[in-house]
Amino acid sequence: MSRRVLAVGMVLTIVGWVLILAPEPVAGQAFWAKDTPKLPMAKTWAAQKAKLPRYTPPRTPDGVPDLQGAWSGAGGDNNSYLEDHEFVDVTTPAQESFVSDPPDGRVPYTPWALERRKEMLAGLGRGWPGESAERLYASPGSYCLNVAPVFSFDAQEIIQKPGYVIMVSDDTYRVIPTDGRPAISQNAKFWMGTSRGRWEGDTLVVEVTSLNGKGWFDSTGQFYSENTRMVERWRLVDANTLDYEVTVHDPTIYTRPWTMTFPKRRAGTGPGGPRGVSAASSLPALATKDPYAIELWETACFEGNTESLAGIRSLGYKFFNGVTPPK
Amino acid sequence: MARWAVALIFVVGFAAIGIFTPTAVLGQATTSKPYTPPRTPDGHPDLQGVWQVLNTAAWDLEDHNARLGVPAGRGVVEGGVIPYQPAALAKKRENFDKRATLDPESKCYLPGIPRITYMPYPFQIVQQADKVSILYEYLHTIRYIYMNGNPHPKGPIEWWMGDSRGRWEGNTLVVDVIHFNDLTWFDRAGNFHSSALHVIERYTPTGPDHMLYEATIEDPSVFTRPWKISMPLYRRQERDAELLEYQCHAYLLEQEWNNPSSTLFEQP
Repeated sequence: MSRRVLAVGMVLTIVGWVLILAPEPVAGQAFWAKDTPKLPMAKTWAAQKAKLPRYTPPRTPDGVPDLQGAWSGAGGDNNSYLEDHEFVDVTTPAQESFVSDPPDGRVPYTPWALERRKEMLAGLGRGWPGESAERLYASPGSYCLNVAPVFSFDAQEIIQKPGYVIMVSDDTYRVIPTDGRPAISQNAKFWMGTSRGRWEGDTLVVEVTSLNGKGWFDSTGQFYSENTRMVERWRLVDANTLDYEVTVHDPTIYTRPWTMTFPKRRAGTGPGGPRGVSAASSLPALATKDPYAIELWETACFEGNTESLAGIRSLGYKFFNGVTPPK
Repeated sequence: MARWAVALIFVVGFAAIGIFTPTAVLGQATTSKPYTPPRTPDGHPDLQGVWQVLNTAAWDLEDHNARLGVPAGRGVVEGGVIPYQPAALAKKRENFDKRATLDPESKCYLPGIPRITYMPYPFQIVQQADKVSILYEYLHTIRYIYMNGNPHPKGPIEWWMGDSRGRWEGNTLVVDVIHFNDLTWFDRAGNFHSSALHVIERYTPTGPDHMLYEATIEDPSVFTRPWKISMPLYRRQERDAELLEYQCHAYLLEQEWNNPSSTLFEQP
């Protein structure tokens, strides 16, 4: 008991930092009013960035674009529902889709995959309209796993070293070699996949492969597979705004490649979402009075979560083991 | 050639052997000239890269014989024996007997400091002006060692990995770690500590591809005096050495979730 109280105390202590670097509160902790205006995301951002003047980013001593610093996450409803939707419940306000292409903002599942998608949405057991009686899968997010590309949807600090881009967050990291090394065997599969980066002009391009296909893009079961390849594009569009794009390739479950996009704001550069796009309206200015405000303290997600996992499991939710597309 | 010149060559040659050979041999064993590591742009010793231990400390910090699946190994404790208080020694023995179920590693929890250092997974050191970050392959764990002048935050705090504050002493990175919980162990043999644990780590480069890792362990509620472990760290030599993934709790959940008789989800 005292340990749990202590854990809550720690969460409160780190809130200062979380507010700065991660505008979105911990998953499921934000509550939204029914009349909240629809939160802007990919559609608004794609239209805005098409009109932006060309920005030339500063360079590192190695001569590559300097993306270093602490960056906010996508914000909005904290990646709880990927596609365009109206208000569903207090944790799922109306929000534009993360998907910018296809233009309708829908994930272009093949007919087989769309059936699976509908089953999974109907089996969430969240009390949403149209649900079936059966509870299907627990969200992999509930067992504290970091998966690609959801890591990129959250806040992180980018560090650059010769031959590497390193991204660190409050509880994990990514190391992206940019030295031209080949991908590892696609027979080896990982929750985070493996990443290989390269610079194309001002853009960091990261190929993510070797994915195990057991993660979700959001909390509603939008899925990929172990055949999926993702190509991320990170580019500064002004000194304090980092454009993020990820294109998802998988002909076994999608009819075409599709793209998500949103901007990230440099931590401590003022309130509001970057260029008004993300819904992080409560992002405060950097709290300079607290010397610990910029530090990242332990979150230890899984260690404190076994009780809630036991609860989820006892409700009949199953472990999502990925989909097996027809040959 | 004059005969004296040939003689001189022999004398110089023997002298060289006489002077350098024993020194070189001794030097390898004991008093090598201090290694001067390369520097980061900030002017600090550059410890960056992918590192790993090559020993059996993950199974047992002390000398131990082999068991099924466990290689025998020499201990890494200075003086050979961990100085437990009597009651604590009894608890350690009980931990050992029940290690299959009691070892927090079997639950895939964060393993604490110094244990994560000598588990059989690589880790990568990344240096910045305000902090040294250690990225461990095990559980994708990130550890920040702050060098920004902030002291340890005021407690009480109980963290799995503690709170790390670093400083440079010559070429050595010295890390002071406190604010632990009492739920982690030092190894798979039941060696344990309380939440009063205080660890002082020292990372000293001894060559381009080697570091000496030392950790002083203080915990007055478990041990009779501070004690120390030390071991070499080796830079991974593969050209494309990189951290992969050991998502322990993912594998554990995948195995246990759909097993109706699993005890993993029972609350203590």
